[in-house]
Amino acid sequence: MASPAEVFKQVQTLTADLVGISLCTHQNFPSMEKLPNDQVEISFSNTENLSIVLKNRPYSEIYYELNHDNAYNLRMVDGALIQMMYRFKKNEIIAHRLAFFPSPDLLEFQNNAEYYEDDEIYADIVMKNIVATPLRFDFDSSDEVFQEVHHPRAHLTIGQYLNCRIPVAAPITPFVFLDFILRSFYNTAHRRYCTDLTNFEQKFDITITEKECSILHMRSGA
Amino acid sequence: MITIIRGATRKPVASQRLADFCNLHPQLTGTLYLGYPVIGTPEGAFPIDAIWINDKKGIVIFNLIEGREVLDYDELQDDSANKLEAKLRNHRTLMKGRTLLVSINVITFAPIVAKGVPYIDGYALAQEDTLLDCINSIPDQDQAYTEAASVIQSISTIRKGIRKRSIARPDSRGAKLKALEDSIANLDNLQGRAVIETVDGVQRIRGLAGSGKTIVLALKAAYLHAQHPDWKIAVTFHTRALKGQFRRLINTFHIEQTNEEPDWSKLQVINSWGAPGSSERNGIYYSFCKQTGAEYFDLGGAKQKFAQGYEFEGICEQAIKDATSGIEPIYDAILVDEAQDLSPAFLRICYRLLTKNKRLVYAYDELQNLGSSSLPPPEDIFGEDAHGNPLVSFSAATDGAPQQDIILEKCYRNSRPVLATAHALGFGIYRTPPVGATTGLIQMFDQSSLWQDVGYTIKSGQLSDGHDVRLSRTESSSPKLLELVSDDIDDLIQFHSFKTQEDQNSWLASQIKSNLSNDELQPNDIIVINPDPLSTKSVVGPIRKLLFTEKVATHLAGVDTSPDVFFDDSGESVAFTGIYRAKGNEAGMVYIINAQDCYSSWGSLARVRNQLFTAITRSKAWVRVLGVGENMTKLSEEFNKVKAQNFELDFRYPTAEEREKLNIVNRDKDVRIIRQGTSNIGQLIEDMKAGRIFIEDFPTDQVEILRGLLSKGDAS
Repeated sequence: MASPAEVFKQVQTLTADLVGISLCTHQNFPSMEKLPNDQVEISFSNTENLSIVLKNRPYSEIYYELNHDNAYNLRMVDGALIQMMYRFKKNEIIAHRLAFFPSPDLLEFQNNAEYYEDDEIYADIVMKNIVATPLRFDFDSSDEVFQEVHHPRAHLTIGQYLNCRIPVAAPITPFVFLDFILRSFYNTAHRRYCTDLTNFEQKFDITITEKECSILHMRSGA
Repeated sequence: MITIIRGATRKPVASQRLADFCNLHPQLTGTLYLGYPVIGTPEGAFPIDAIWINDKKGIVIFNLIEGREVLDYDELQDDSANKLEAKLRNHRTLMKGRTLLVSINVITFAPIVAKGVPYIDGYALAQEDTLLDCINSIPDQDQAYTEAASVIQSISTIRKGIRKRSIARPDSRGAKLKALEDSIANLDNLQGRAVIETVDGVQRIRGLAGSGKTIVLALKAAYLHAQHPDWKIAVTFHTRALKGQFRRLINTFHIEQTNEEPDWSKLQVINSWGAPGSSERNGIYYSFCKQTGAEYFDLGGAKQKFAQGYEFEGICEQAIKDATSGIEPIYDAILVDEAQDLSPAFLRICYRLLTKNKRLVYAYDELQNLGSSSLPPPEDIFGEDAHGNPLVSFSAATDGAPQQDIILEKCYRNSRPVLATAHALGFGIYRTPPVGATTGLIQMFDQSSLWQDVGYTIKSGQLSDGHDVRLSRTESSSPKLLELVSDDIDDLIQFHSFKTQEDQNSWLASQIKSNLSNDELQPNDIIVINPDPLSTKSVVGPIRKLLFTEKVATHLAGVDTSPDVFFDDSGESVAFTGIYRAKGNEAGMVYIINAQDCYSSWGSLARVRNQLFTAITRSKAWVRVLGVGENMTKLSEEFNKVKAQNFELDFRYPTAEEREKLNIVNRDKDVRIIRQGTSNIGQLIEDMKAGRIFIEDFPTDQVEILRGLLSKGDAS
C-alpha cells in the first residue's frame, strides 16, 4: 500500500512533470508535515485558507478566493486549480481530499487548446456562459463519518450537489487522480505528453463495501 | 512671463480671465497653476482654484469667484491658506525650525462682482483693474522658491514599483536596485504638467517605454476625479496586467490628494474589449455594442471573421459600421493607455462614447512598432465632420493654452546602453547588408524627426534621406543615474551564446538561483522572456521544471481574469512569459531566452526584431540576452558593434525608395496568402502551358491590371 513517502514523491514528481510540459502555470511546493498522534499530512505550502471550500458560497467566489490565496498544488493553463491533500496515521491512510476547480469564466482547455497554446492575449474574452463543474474525490476512514452507501469511505462529489457521493473503490493515489484529470479534461495534451509523465504503480487497498459495489461506482484497474 | 499650467477647473470663466491677466502682464514671472492643487483634509478633498509661485512673492493662492456674490470670502481665504500651509509644512526642505520658508498669501479674484462691494480689511479682493495693485502690495521677500516649486510640481509622492527590501550588503544588486528606485524622482516637470493640463477635447501623449505614460494617465484620472467627482471617467488599456497597476496608482494618489478613496462607480478602470457578466468584465467595446445595438463578438466569434492578430481591430470597425441606434454618450472623459496596441477604430469608439467636450486622452509608444509610426495622425484617426473638416486636429502649442500634444522624451526605465542596444538591434543599424542590398537596415520610419522626439541628438552628419548620421542619447533623455546600477557598462547588458538549449537552460537556472541567494534580488525582480509567442510553452517548461526541483518558485504568465496576473501577489515567484504578456511590465533583471529566433526570419524579420526590442526594453537595470547556435553568435556580433560604437547609432538614413523596399521585404507577411498565391500562379502557368487556358479567356481589364502589376515588379 502507498506510504506517505510514496504519496509525497508522486505529488512532487508529477508537479514537476506538469510544470515541464507547461500545462501547469503556477504551483506550490508539496509539503509533508508531522502532526500529533502519529499523524502525517501531505499538502502544499499555502494551506492557511482552505475553510472556504466547505462553505455554502457561490462557486465563483470560492474559486477566486482559492486562486487569490494560492491555495492549490497546481494552477493549470486554463485557470483550473488542483488540490491534493492526504492524511496518514501510523502509515495508514485516514483521509484525502483531491479536488479539481475549473475557472468559472475561462474556456476549458479541452475544447480550446489553441487559445492557450498560442498565448492568445484576449483568451479571457468569452461571451458564452461557462459551466464550471468542480470535482472532489474525498476519503475518510473514520467510522463516525462512514454510512454505507450514503457516505462511502471513498467517494466522488460532482459540482456543488449536496449528498452527491459516488462510491469509489479505494483511496486514490496522486498519479491515478492526475491521470484521470488529464485524460478527461486535457485530453489532447495528455495524448501528446503522456510519455513525459512519470508512471506510478502503487495503489491503496480497497475500502468499498459489497453493498456499495452493487450500485454505480468507480473502480480503477486491478 | 508667467508659465500657465491649466488643469481641470470648476470655474472656467474666472480662470480664463486670470490667465488673460497674466498674459497681459509679461513683467510677472513664475508659474501659475489653474485648477490645482487639490489638498486632502480630514473633511475630504479641498480644491484650490489657482496658485501662483513666484521667487519674490512666494506662493499666492487665488480664490476665484465666478458670480456676483462674494459671500464669506474672508473665511474661504483663511481656509485655503491654512490648508495649503498644513500641506507644505510636511516638507522638510521648506522648513527651518518651525518656520515655513515660503510665504503664503491669498487674493480673491472676482472679475464680475459689482464695484464697491464691502472689502474686508486684510483680505485682498480684486478685479482686473485692481489685481496688479493687490499683487504689488505683497512685500518682496527671500523665498525658498526652488524648493516650493519642486514641492508643488512634484504633484505626488507616489512612486511606482517601490518594494520593501531587506538589504544586507550595500553593493548587492538588490541594494543598487533599491538605490535606483529611491533616487528616481517622483515626477519630472513635463510629466507633472501632462498630469494637470486638461483639454476640452482630444489630448495625445507620446513617449518611449519607461517615459511614465502609465503613471501620468493614472494620476490624471485621479486628479480629474478629485476635481470633478460627478464626471464619469474611464481608464482603459490593452494589457490586462495594467488593470491592477492602474487601480493601485489611482487609489493611492486619490487618497493622497483628498484623503478619500475614489468612487469606483464613477472612475472606472475597464478593459478595452470586455465581455458580458460582472462589472469586472465590462469593457469599452462591449459597452459600445450594448449602447448602439451593434453585434458583439467575443474572441471566438472574432477569430472566425477576422485575420489572426487583427481580431479586435476588425470587430471595432464592424461595430462602428453596424451601430444602428444613435449613441447616448456615457463618459465625460476616457483615458487610453497603450493605444499603439489598440487601433484607430477603437479610439473612434471611445470618441463616440464621450459627452460633448470629447475629453479623450490617449497615450502610446510611437516606437513600440519600430517600422512605422504606430498610429496615424489624429486627422486620420477620427475622420471628418459633415463639412469635411477634421474632427480632431492638434493646434500648435500656444502660450497659456493647455497642450494637446505632449511628448515625454525622458526614459526613466532603460539606461542609455540598454535603450540604444534595443534600438540598434530593432532597426538593424549595424546589421550586415544582405547580398545585393544597399543597406542592412530592417526598418526605418519616414519622419526622421521622430528620432529627436524620442530623445536622440545628432552627434554628427545630417538626419535626412541618404545622408550619414550619428545619433546618441543625451544625459537629459537618458539620465545617468540609471547606469549607476552597475560599475561597469558590460554588466548592464550582456549577450551569451550557447551550444545547446540544455546549456542555456542550466546557465539560466544557476544565474537565477545566484540572483536570489547572492544578489539580494527578489523573485519579482526577475522576468524571463521568450520572444517567440508560439514556442513559449514548450521552451520554458523544462527550465521551470529544473527550477522547481531546485526549490525556486516560478510561474508562467498566462490567461487569467484576476486583475493582477503578471507578478504574483506575494512576489515570491519568478515570472516566465511570452512576448505579448511581457508588454507593459518591467523588472530589474531581464533574461531573454532563445534570442537566436530574433536574428533573422523569413517573412517577418521586422516582427522578430520588434520582439527583441520589446523584450530588452522591459529592463529597469540589467539585461541578459541568451540564445543558441549560429544565429545567436551573429546576433552577439551585431551587439558587439553597438558596444564598439559606444552605444551610438551610426548609419546612412535610407532614401524613400529604400524605405519602401524595406517595408515590403521585411513586413509581416501573411504566409498563408503567399503560399496560396504561389500555388495559384503555379496552377495557372501549368494550365496555360498545357493549352487548357488562354490569356484571351480572361476578362481584358483583369489582364491589363495584371500586366501593370508585373511590369511594376520588374522595375524595382
